[in-house]
Amino acid sequence: MKQRSRLDLLQGTLDLLILRALQTEPMHGWAISERIQQISQEVLQVNQGSLYPALHRLEHQGWIEAEWGISELGRRARFYRLNAAGRKQLELEANQWARFTAAIGRVLDLA
Amino acid sequence: METELEEELQFHVDMAVRKQIAAGMRPVEARREVSKRFGGVEQVKEECRDMRGLRWMETILQDVRYALSGFGRTPGFALTVVATIALGLGLNTALFTIFNAYVLQPLRVSDPDRLYQFTWTNRNLQGHEFSWREFQEFQKQNPAFADVAAFHRVSFSRVEGHLMLGHLVTGNYFSMLGVSALRGRTLLPEDAEVPGSAPVAVLSADAWSKKFARDPNIIGKQIPIHGRRVQIVGVAQDGFRGISEVPLDFWVPVTLAPQLDEEASLFGPTQPERLTVVGRLRRDLTLRQAEGALTAWAQRHTADRPEAARATRAILRSKATTIPLEPEIVAAAVPVFLAFGMVLLIACANVANMMLARAMARQREIGIRLAMGAGRPRLIRQLLTESIVLAVPAGAAGFAISGQSIRWGQWLILNTIPSGYLEFFTVIPLQPDARVFCMMVAAAVLSALLFGIAPAIQATRSNVMQAARGEFTTDFRPARLRSALIVGQVTVSVLFLICAAVLIRVNDRMQRLDVGLQTRGVLELNLQDRFRARALQEVNSDPDVETIAGASKFPFGGYLPRVPVAAGQGSEQFPAGYLYASPAYFQIFRLPILRGRNFTPEEATAGAAVAILSEATAARLWPGHDALGQSLRIQANPLQPHSLRDVRQGPPTYSSVAIIGIARDAVNGWVGDGPDQTCIYLPTTALAPGNVVFARVRGDTKVAERRLDTMLTASSPGALDQIHPMNEVLAAQLYPFRALYWTSSALGGLALLLTLSGIYGVLSYVVTQRRKEIGIRMALGARPGAVAAMVLRQSLRFALAGAAIGGTAALGLLRVVASQIDMKMFGSFDWVGIGAGLLLAVAASTAAAWLPSRRAAGIEPVSTLRCD
Repeated sequence: MKQRSRLDLLQGTLDLLILRALQTEPMHGWAISERIQQISQEVLQVNQGSLYPALHRLEHQGWIEAEWGISELGRRARFYRLNAAGRKQLELEANQWARFTAAIGRVLDLA
Repeated sequence: METELEEELQFHVDMAVRKQIAAGMRPVEARREVSKRFGGVEQVKEECRDMRGLRWMETILQDVRYALSGFGRTPGFALTVVATIALGLGLNTALFTIFNAYVLQPLRVSDPDRLYQFTWTNRNLQGHEFSWREFQEFQKQNPAFADVAAFHRVSFSRVEGHLMLGHLVTGNYFSMLGVSALRGRTLLPEDAEVPGSAPVAVLSADAWSKKFARDPNIIGKQIPIHGRRVQIVGVAQDGFRGISEVPLDFWVPVTLAPQLDEEASLFGPTQPERLTVVGRLRRDLTLRQAEGALTAWAQRHTADRPEAARATRAILRSKATTIPLEPEIVAAAVPVFLAFGMVLLIACANVANMMLARAMARQREIGIRLAMGAGRPRLIRQLLTESIVLAVPAGAAGFAISGQSIRWGQWLILNTIPSGYLEFFTVIPLQPDARVFCMMVAAAVLSALLFGIAPAIQATRSNVMQAARGEFTTDFRPARLRSALIVGQVTVSVLFLICAAVLIRVNDRMQRLDVGLQTRGVLELNLQDRFRARALQEVNSDPDVETIAGASKFPFGGYLPRVPVAAGQGSEQFPAGYLYASPAYFQIFRLPILRGRNFTPEEATAGAAVAILSEATAARLWPGHDALGQSLRIQANPLQPHSLRDVRQGPPTYSSVAIIGIARDAVNGWVGDGPDQTCIYLPTTALAPGNVVFARVRGDTKVAERRLDTMLTASSPGALDQIHPMNEVLAAQLYPFRALYWTSSALGGLALLLTLSGIYGVLSYVVTQRRKEIGIRMALGARPGAVAAMVLRQSLRFALAGAAIGGTAALGLLRVVASQIDMKMFGSFDWVGIGAGLLLAVAASTAAAWLPSRRAAGIEPVSTLRCD
């Protein structure tokens, strides 16, 4: 039960991070996790155990599409690409997140 | 799909390892580090599959495959389960098929849902039938129907050796129902314009194929109905059997009523109330509005009648199905469904116990799967899938069993019913349709859940830690559930056995009942009044006919009509049964007149004011005194002709009769009531219209029956409606009791069998479970006898608990039944039957425990203890 609630909390933000990471170009799972860690300056560690279920879920929801390609090292890898619906979803979630953090920030400033 | 997921995750792991190595870690360490951080690859895969939403399908397929392979390894178990459930399902499906055909399947008419029968009740809640004039007025003023038709039945008539039943209908009957013709035409309004118009008839498609062998030249054929020649003008569309409970063979215009009816003409001055009115409700009215409008009409229409004959409320009965789904019908059907449902329930309890035992045997497997990380819901789902996998073939087999048992039941009836009554036994076809199929599937799934869910929950309850250590017994105690199931089973079978025993004894009492009338060598004849005199003459002149008698009613079937009587001036009135009988009635049936004398021929012809009383009647009217020579006051109530409607000779018109004889008690009324409580014999002759005729013949009764039949059919066709040996009349009246006896015995036997196998299974299992304990006991010096007694005691505990609950329930049930049915021969309280049922259940449970107890006694302590 406990595990479930932590996962739920992560899910929303992880989805947003994945969508954002895919905004510029298609990537495989490993690259997504590396990109998020790099950009967040190692603050956000993406747990592989949540990353792949999240990718499969986003694909199932129709926001990202997957196809097999060749990685930079010449190995077969599964590349994920943001589609139109995904872009819309990213915009929506990013907005929500901005409003959310702004609200939290205001509360913290004033309290 | 699966390999892709594997490859994707492997790629990630490899990349992570590479990164660690690049950061300066040794390959071995790097791998360990990565796999530690990554967690269980299998779990991630499982979650990925979950996310894709396709998982449930895969799981189900997987579970089904798993279940099938499991049952493949234990075919005996699977077969037993399938057979047990199939039996329960089959019986219930058969019952539902019959219920469906009569109560749920819409009639084959257009828009059956708007079809209603209209009647009204008076303040005594008596229903009403319409006279011709009343119907015509209603048709003109009718405030609620788009179209109304009327009909009434033509009594059974013999046509070319077949019994045929039909309705006299108004000309718009077929157009109102929207029924078309398969051959020729249906009846038209022109056919029923004026009384006595051209005699035409429409056959049902069933009658055409069964009674006329699909004769291609049927149109234009003349058939005699009650001796009147009627021309067939058409065959109604397939599947249309009229709108009454009994399937019909033909329809004739209502204007033929004077020719086909024996009684006062429908169109004559007396205006008899005989018509049933059926109509199609107007679309703009709700049922309630229509009832309101009809109530107002009926009250207005009857306002000038005597108080008791005034309408109080209009009644609309749906005619959408053969039998409307009314509260009374449901109330009658529920106990039957409960009885059959209980057999299914026992079957489920049995299988639940077997599944429980099997789940216990699989504790190691289940424990290991739990330890490997399988979720409990997942395991429960898998165990339930196993139940469903068993329920599907059980459902299919049940479907086959239901079809077979219906066919077998019909065969049984056809082969046991007295032959002269075969043609009365017409049933509407019992084809299972989509509704039956859906009910079957629902019942199969429901029973799968019933027998599967408790074992599934119980079996997965074990603790992972204990399972891993190999301990399965400590935390696993389905004993209570198992005992509850067994006690429940015994309870139900005790209930069944007691009811069966009581019914068997009722039947036994019925079969051994002394009816007081000697039926051997007596024939019963129903004659048309038009031919009566001539037919009687012919019968009388037959060399093998000894005597002829007449009576207003044949013995054994139907109640005697009643009339209020009093022993003398000022004494208390009570309703007593009466029967018009000719003097020879007493001779023919060897019914002795104990004191006094028989009617003289003159008294019989004149209908004199004399009476012979049955012994019981005399004792009831003049207790302690001699009834002979007394006079009996008869109070005919003109406002109560309803109960007497079927008797053409109503209660006597005179107000007092002289008692001239006392006859021995006999069964003249319904056989289910035993010897008549009261019977007043009044004089009549065989010649009087409406009387049933009896003939005592020499030699073989069947031969005489055939000869008289051929003779009368040749000389005056249509004169003889029915002819039966009195033996068969009695047998036909006793037949329902035999049928009830078979049904209850079969259900009781089945319940007992299921319970026996249940007790046997559970005790065998318990003995196997407790091998070690028993072995230790025996090693410590317990004698085999004591061990066997221990097992028997356990069985006896089940049996006694079940017997106590079931016995109490049966007592209550019998009390309710006895208070509900009006049947003297049912008896008040049958302690013998109840005791026999209880004893049988307890004895059978003990017998079922015998084999397991022998096995327990035969356990070898040494080999058992070495076992682990």
